[in-house]
Amino acid sequence: MAADLVFYGFALLTVLAGCFVVFSRNVVHAGFALMFTLLGVAGLYAMLGADFLAVTQTVVYIGGILILVLFAVMMTRVPSQNAPRRGLDRMVPAGIFAVAIFALLYKVATGTSWPTATPGEALPTAKLIGVKLMTDAIFPFEFASLVLLVAMIGAAILIRERKVLPAEAPAEEAATEAPADEPEVTA
Amino acid sequence: MLNVETLNLPNWADARAFVPELVMFGAFLAALLGDIIAKRRPWVPFAIVLFGAVTALSYAVAGLDIQAPAKILGDMVVVDGMSSFFRMLFALTAVVTVLFSWKSEEIMGPGREHKGEFYALIALMTGGMMVMAESTDLIMLYLSMELVSLTSYVMAGWMRGSLRSTEASLKYMIFGAMSSGIMLFGLSLIFGLTGSMTFEGIRAALSAGTVDPLALLTVTVLVLAGLGYKIAMVPFHFWAPDVYEGSPTPVAAFFSVGPKAAGFALMIRFFYTTLQPVVDQFDWPLMIAVLSVITMTVGNLSAVRQTNVKRILAYSSIAHVGYLLMAFLMLTEQGLQAILFYLFVYTLMNLGAFLFVTAVNNSLKSEHLADYAGLGFRSPWASVMMMIFLFSLTGVPPFAGFIGKFYLFAEVMRREWYWLAIVGVLNSVVSLYYYMKIARALYFDKAPEGAGAVPVPALQIFAMALLAVPTLLLGVMWGPLKGVADRAVAVIAGL
Amino acid sequence: MESITGLLTKIFGDGMSPMALLISGGLTMALIMSLVMAMCAIVFTWMERKVAGFLQSRYGPMRVGGFHGVLQPVADMLKILGKEDIIPDEADKALFMLSPFVIFIGSLMAWAAIPFAPGFIASNLDLGLFYIFAVSSAAPAGILMAGWASNNKWALYGAARGAAQMVSYEIPLALAAIPVVMATGSLNMNAIVDAQGGGVLNWYIVHDPFLFLAFCLYFIASIAEVNRGPFDMPETESELVAGYHTEYTGMRFAFFFLAEYANLFLVSCIATAVFLGGWHPIAGPVFLPGLVFLIKAVILVFLQMLVRWTLPRLRVDQLMHTCWKVMVPLTLLCVLGSGIWMMVSGELL
Repeated sequence: MAADLVFYGFALLTVLAGCFVVFSRNVVHAGFALMFTLLGVAGLYAMLGADFLAVTQTVVYIGGILILVLFAVMMTRVPSQNAPRRGLDRMVPAGIFAVAIFALLYKVATGTSWPTATPGEALPTAKLIGVKLMTDAIFPFEFASLVLLVAMIGAAILIRERKVLPAEAPAEEAATEAPADEPEVTA
Repeated sequence: MLNVETLNLPNWADARAFVPELVMFGAFLAALLGDIIAKRRPWVPFAIVLFGAVTALSYAVAGLDIQAPAKILGDMVVVDGMSSFFRMLFALTAVVTVLFSWKSEEIMGPGREHKGEFYALIALMTGGMMVMAESTDLIMLYLSMELVSLTSYVMAGWMRGSLRSTEASLKYMIFGAMSSGIMLFGLSLIFGLTGSMTFEGIRAALSAGTVDPLALLTVTVLVLAGLGYKIAMVPFHFWAPDVYEGSPTPVAAFFSVGPKAAGFALMIRFFYTTLQPVVDQFDWPLMIAVLSVITMTVGNLSAVRQTNVKRILAYSSIAHVGYLLMAFLMLTEQGLQAILFYLFVYTLMNLGAFLFVTAVNNSLKSEHLADYAGLGFRSPWASVMMMIFLFSLTGVPPFAGFIGKFYLFAEVMRREWYWLAIVGVLNSVVSLYYYMKIARALYFDKAPEGAGAVPVPALQIFAMALLAVPTLLLGVMWGPLKGVADRAVAVIAGL
Repeated sequence: MESITGLLTKIFGDGMSPMALLISGGLTMALIMSLVMAMCAIVFTWMERKVAGFLQSRYGPMRVGGFHGVLQPVADMLKILGKEDIIPDEADKALFMLSPFVIFIGSLMAWAAIPFAPGFIASNLDLGLFYIFAVSSAAPAGILMAGWASNNKWALYGAARGAAQMVSYEIPLALAAIPVVMATGSLNMNAIVDAQGGGVLNWYIVHDPFLFLAFCLYFIASIAEVNRGPFDMPETESELVAGYHTEYTGMRFAFFFLAEYANLFLVSCIATAVFLGGWHPIAGPVFLPGLVFLIKAVILVFLQMLVRWTLPRLRVDQLMHTCWKVMVPLTLLCVLGSGIWMMVSGELL
């Protein structure tokens, strides 16, 4: 009973904050609301006995990804003439689509039998996960490091300040592609 | 306390079966380090990656006569005939792309940066595609796709300071993030429905027939969003023309064959293993058939109106996905053989066509059809080879493309999907129009006054010949390749 | 929490249901921790000013409260309570009001897993150490919230610097504690402290050379993590007025202040529990464990204050350089080195 209440509390937090993320017109507010969504999900993990996953969710998503998202939305600004339109012509099709997707997923969720397990006593999972990662799942574990490495290299390559002098830059691109009224893309 | 003996740890046998991938990943790391140690002399990473790709190619060819499928590395990947075939394909693609990039102004021209890292990333992506073609587990499916995608985003934006290239990278990434998000949702539903992460476990769970068809349909559509994006299947194709146009041309050439073939390999593994038992519950081949028709029609009709050669080739590669999907939904061994055969031939001719664009781009600085006028006389050798690729892409005898298409359509007819075959043939006719538009520009349009010769470096002529000669030869002597494809399908895991 | 629930059972008898016991015990613990945080601010502001005065050859506060101005913090507190609560017109009001509490709660949550004495721990989590790092990693979000909501360029600069710094230094901070986790084989804080019993030679700081290096790295990273000198770029008073809390006054400012000193004490408590044997004395049996723990932690706080008033401030790029190119590789070396050490000395498996 009490566990149910806690579950619904976390679920409500997740869903309400999620709705706020989607519907807020202020991108920064949406970013901060995302924090509560992620917190709610972490709580749900903890409820399900996945304590390691819950803490990892907190450290990775709130401590890392959310901060980067916030940096990105704070440091960039949408030009006012490019602001997304929000007329009925957008709302109605989007709304219909969303309701249709929801109906479909509801039907899927309720219409089929899901293999379930009865929750037992919550056991510490950290050690189990560690052993699994170092034995059965060691290949994906190492492979993920390659994925992260390429993400890091890619970010460094694409973002680093250019050393090339403007005179050396290919002339045809500057002439044909950068309209005069747009700011230079290079740093 | 743990007992090391009882744990399922990878061993040397796993490593031996995994040599081409290890070589490619090793080449990636060695090229990165070599680039730094050699103080940014680009030939060092170039040589390392070329050597790695050739080594991987020879290992892959040696592995073609594999006797039995082997599950390695904790049952996460499988080495069988099909993985050997795709290893060979990807290593070959890497060799040609590396050779060709060396003389491409877009990569190696003055003022370009990070020349060494470019080769390193090609090595990494090749390794990632190989793993994609071998995955038998949802985790590896996702991780390998992400590795290839992330590398692609970086390579698409390689020309820094070019708005088109930046746009390509950004579009690719947004589409990719979206579709892999959708796919992940589908994968989580699959795990929820079946309680298994391995393809075979999923197959076993689905065979029981307790899963609601509607849930299956939803899952299939969601997963198709991710895989369809990788192979540029309509309606997940929107990124392809813009990305091919904006990326450096050698990169676009690589994208149009490598990740596409890898996506097909993954689709074959996933659909043939997991969803085959539920065909009678839910007719997903029909869904694929409709998508195939839409894909080839949209691809061909859009290509007709393009004036940028890269965009023409982009839409044509979408159309080719449609042809491949026809054989994909047959669910037969012959269909698989036809797909492998066609993918190989497609790799040769499509890579070749893109390489021609790269080669003339060095001095022409343009990909517009109008600027290609009279190239047949200004750059004769390259143009002749381009004609071979174009005829082959159209599917005219006696080129390899004809044989490939013949096998595809033969299988479709054998399974009595006549309407599908008719649509396919009609589409091929449409494609003739725009391929010949390029040919007309090369040979029948007058070059502007005073236009000089367009020199193509010997290395690039060599790389193109590496593709053009097999395209010609396979058109008259396709037996060996067919034999290889047949053997690859004969030793295949989990079907 | 066992000691608290035991006490509650003693007071109210056995009639309490487990649920009520859990809730009341938790609330009591939360109250105690809030008081600890408040005490941190009171004690450490006084201490900080005295240390600063000592290092600069002056007295520091001397007047309020007779002996060496001990009541100065109380006077300051009363002053802060009496200040007007100003919210700038152009501020993002909702976020402006929310952010002090986000920071405060993030700090408070981390205290739940600090073992002050045997049995005196709010929640004896299996993942204790990881949990502490996880909840304290939410702090940058609160800082960004404050900086953004103030609608003030100094505040935003400070917040951006602070968040970048904390996100970066979390990595060496957590990695430096990994060798200890490897040595203990557990993330549970009680288990980590228990493993260090029986004299100073069993403390993890002297377990092997790599762990000593890890302790040094942890100490440096912890200074950066709490944004104190020489890593106080987020609030450089000579450049940014007061950083992300420039616009805050009154009680809202007090919350930032509380959280800051509480975090200072928190990282010292973690270091005490993880490296310095927790409540175990230098030699002999466990005696007044809570006091031993507090003394060790306060000594570490004192060291941090010495560092703050001794060393000049770094530049932002030097700060990032130190983190990513020096500290992270060194902490990774610590993990590798102590792993090898344990394998050679036969402690592993």
